[in-house]
Amino acid sequence: MSSTDYSYDDQGQFFPFFIITIVAVFTLPLTYNVLKPSSEPGATAPRIKTDFRPKHAVLIDEQKRAQKKRERKLKRGIAVVVGWAVMFFMAYLIVVTARTQTKIWNPYDILGISESATEKAIKSHYKRLSLKFHPDKVRPDPSKNITLESLNDRFVELTKAYKALTDEDIRNNYIQYGHPDGKQSFSIGIALPSFMITEGNGKFVILVYALLLGVLMPYTVGVWWYGTQALSKEKVLIESANNLFKEYDERTTEGGIITALSTGAEFKSILKGEKAESGQDKLEARILAEGEATPLAGGLTIKDRAKLEDLDGGVRRKALGLLWAYLGRVELNDQALEQAKVEVAPIAHALTQSYLAIAMAYGTVGPILNAYRTMQCLVQAVPPTASPLLQIPHFTPATVRAVEGDARTHLTVQQYMQIQEARRRSMTVGKGLLTESEYDTAMKVVKQLPRFQVEKVFFKVAGEKYITPGSLAFAVVKGRFVPPGSTNVPEVNELDLEDIDPAEDDVDAILGRKKTPAKGEAPVADDKPSQPPLAFAPYYARDYSPRWHLFLTDSKQDKMAVNVHTYTQFEKPIFDESGAPTYNMQTMKASFQTPPQAGQYTFVLNVVCDSYVGFDTKVETILTVDEASKAEEIAIEDEISEPDEDSLAGQMSMLKNGGAPPPQRRKKAVEDDDDDSDESNTEGEVDDDTSETNTDTDEE
Amino acid sequence: MFEFDWYSLLLPLAYVGVLFGSLVTFSSLYRKRKAIASATLAPWFPPHLQRNIYLSLLHLDPAEGDEKAVAVPQSVVRAALLRRATEDIHRIIQIRTAKQACATLLQRGSVGDDLWQRFLRAEKEMEDELRDVVMEANALSPNWGQTIFQSANEIAANTMLRDRLDEIQAQTESEKQWWEKRRASIQSEFMKELDSSAASSPTKIPQKAGSEDDTILVESPTSTPSSTRKRKGKK
Repeated sequence: MSSTDYSYDDQGQFFPFFIITIVAVFTLPLTYNVLKPSSEPGATAPRIKTDFRPKHAVLIDEQKRAQKKRERKLKRGIAVVVGWAVMFFMAYLIVVTARTQTKIWNPYDILGISESATEKAIKSHYKRLSLKFHPDKVRPDPSKNITLESLNDRFVELTKAYKALTDEDIRNNYIQYGHPDGKQSFSIGIALPSFMITEGNGKFVILVYALLLGVLMPYTVGVWWYGTQALSKEKVLIESANNLFKEYDERTTEGGIITALSTGAEFKSILKGEKAESGQDKLEARILAEGEATPLAGGLTIKDRAKLEDLDGGVRRKALGLLWAYLGRVELNDQALEQAKVEVAPIAHALTQSYLAIAMAYGTVGPILNAYRTMQCLVQAVPPTASPLLQIPHFTPATVRAVEGDARTHLTVQQYMQIQEARRRSMTVGKGLLTESEYDTAMKVVKQLPRFQVEKVFFKVAGEKYITPGSLAFAVVKGRFVPPGSTNVPEVNELDLEDIDPAEDDVDAILGRKKTPAKGEAPVADDKPSQPPLAFAPYYARDYSPRWHLFLTDSKQDKMAVNVHTYTQFEKPIFDESGAPTYNMQTMKASFQTPPQAGQYTFVLNVVCDSYVGFDTKVETILTVDEASKAEEIAIEDEISEPDEDSLAGQMSMLKNGGAPPPQRRKKAVEDDDDDSDESNTEGEVDDDTSETNTDTDEE
Repeated sequence: MFEFDWYSLLLPLAYVGVLFGSLVTFSSLYRKRKAIASATLAPWFPPHLQRNIYLSLLHLDPAEGDEKAVAVPQSVVRAALLRRATEDIHRIIQIRTAKQACATLLQRGSVGDDLWQRFLRAEKEMEDELRDVVMEANALSPNWGQTIFQSANEIAANTMLRDRLDEIQAQTESEKQWWEKRRASIQSEFMKELDSSAASSPTKIPQKAGSEDDTILVESPTSTPSSTRKRKGKK
């Protein structure tokens, strides 16, 4: 054992451990990140089956592929592979490198006797050994690598070991310091290879240290920090978000939002250099040409055109032109322009998300709804003022015109599908319109579109009969996915419409945990939430999973009342394996705090799907908040038997609830199961009204 | 006492010096850049045209050759100031409505910090502007400062309302045309129907029903699906 200051890791015994730890710290989380299944809702969703291919489908597919490539985390994958390679190499080094073990000095081992040997045995054993190993007795044998010196050493060792076991002083030394010679110098090992410390290498080590700490670390921190600073929460450039905030206007239209979107800084990256201006005239000539269904081919209104023409040239104007060209599906006859046209839509979609967040912060309903509609238009490539029928494959403005006539209002897809089959076919198929086979393809697609049909809307507080002030209530929406034009839709099962609270002792259900099947019970058939198919958006260069947004608005103040609850998947399957709709009853819930005062509140409940135009539902509802005392009363009534009317208690309770006899009220509650309808007798008329409006769904 | 080797201290001292030196340089550079960035922040509002008009009316320089500047009538100056106050009202409304939203968005990280900086600056500028208008009003006629913003508010509200009305009114021409066309087409269809024999009418009826549907505005098509569904539900 050396008695010099420090021992360095000359043989590289410890350095691999050091490196393996450092590399593992980075590699293991990264591996998880790379291997973890994509959380994107669209990753595993089914697709709507069709063989419809839009024009320029090649361009769109190319974009989709490029996007997938970007999402593939290639760099991270390489880093993981390299990390594991390094770790395996280090592990190999550890295994291969012989470890110089510091042996503990053990006199029994040296003498070759067991530790239980008595002093006498030791003595005799030593005598025998000394006879055998005394330097005078043994001849040095160079062929066996035995020299005089090694023999001497050997004998000294033996003697030391013997003394350690017999001599008092030496034995004490051995016990105290672990060595018969007394205190040994101890060494401190540093797990660094000696080349790092060697004289002359010091400056390089310092240089590396300075580079790591002074350059690399500030750089990485800076990149990370400015990276997070550059993007807003909605994953758009902060500059774009700022611009959108400035462009926000309470009375904006969808067209106004499209114009606002063109301020996005993202467009600069795809319209770099000469691309910012090239083809501008051609582009604008085409979108501002007279359109078939809309006054202008791009689907702009006169106001939108004025706004476009007010802009200075450059990226913003071109981006706006491209957006309108995309929405109007305008043929641009130019490869570069066509490609840019396909590229702008996903960017605009992301920007709309940001606009939506801004609109929500303002809380005014109009811009929020318009932002959702803009999203639908962007996904479907339909101009905001045009007919929703353009979502159907093969439908052109000419077809829409033939179907709608010169009506001012547009037919939605579901209205179109309600037209009798024969008449619909005769309206749609014809010269300059669809061919028979195209019509069949179109109908096949339409019958796969997931349209959420609201069946019932009500309010409830979990476990309570009445809604009391200041409690946590749910707006419950019951509905089914009924694709437009589906025939023989089964009737609504009344039992499905009820929202049953889990039993009070069913902790699993209350906490939203999965039910574990009890013994003997059949395991619950797969409870996996079902995903709706990816949006049918042949013109949109991304795979987009449709989302349903549920929110309540206050129609009197034109403000948001209950924030948006978004649904990307549903508890029951929407389509079965063969692709036929199951018509399962689905539930959507939005939780909110009830107002602090009892009374009736009118709300408009909106269910918006952000991927299809014209699939939105608006329902007017009335939330009735009862006095807190009413709920207490029920609790008492439940405990004690109903007081007779002529008893004192009965009269008291009569006084309390304004003369309405309790039994009658009970009956009423059974009659209409809407929780929001008022149960008191005096307002019977209002009651009917509410239940009417509840089941009534105004589709927009 | 032992000999102190001052030279060996040099290296650590140099290290500390370089460290602090670089930190100080970084911070000063960063601050300077930030100051420049905030100085060049785009203003929230476009140039204040009404204020510029008012100020140029006040300080009308004599035209070349003329001895005296053209005297601006007091009424014109007052009108200009009122216009300026009206524009201020518009801007204040904008700021008031945006403030809450901007603060929440900033907190959530949906918009950037420089937007907030711009906003605060605009707010401060508006305060100064208001004070300035009040002072100017008081200078033009005593105690007008107290009421000028009330009148300006009325004017602003009125202009907004009128703008909206104009917008709606502007649609009349196109609407009228459309209805004329529509009427003509319906009429011609009726005539055709009357001309043709009664036997052919059944095929026409759905067509007519469809067009009628559309003329009864929005309600009729929307109510159809719900009513059919309601029937289904009652079965």
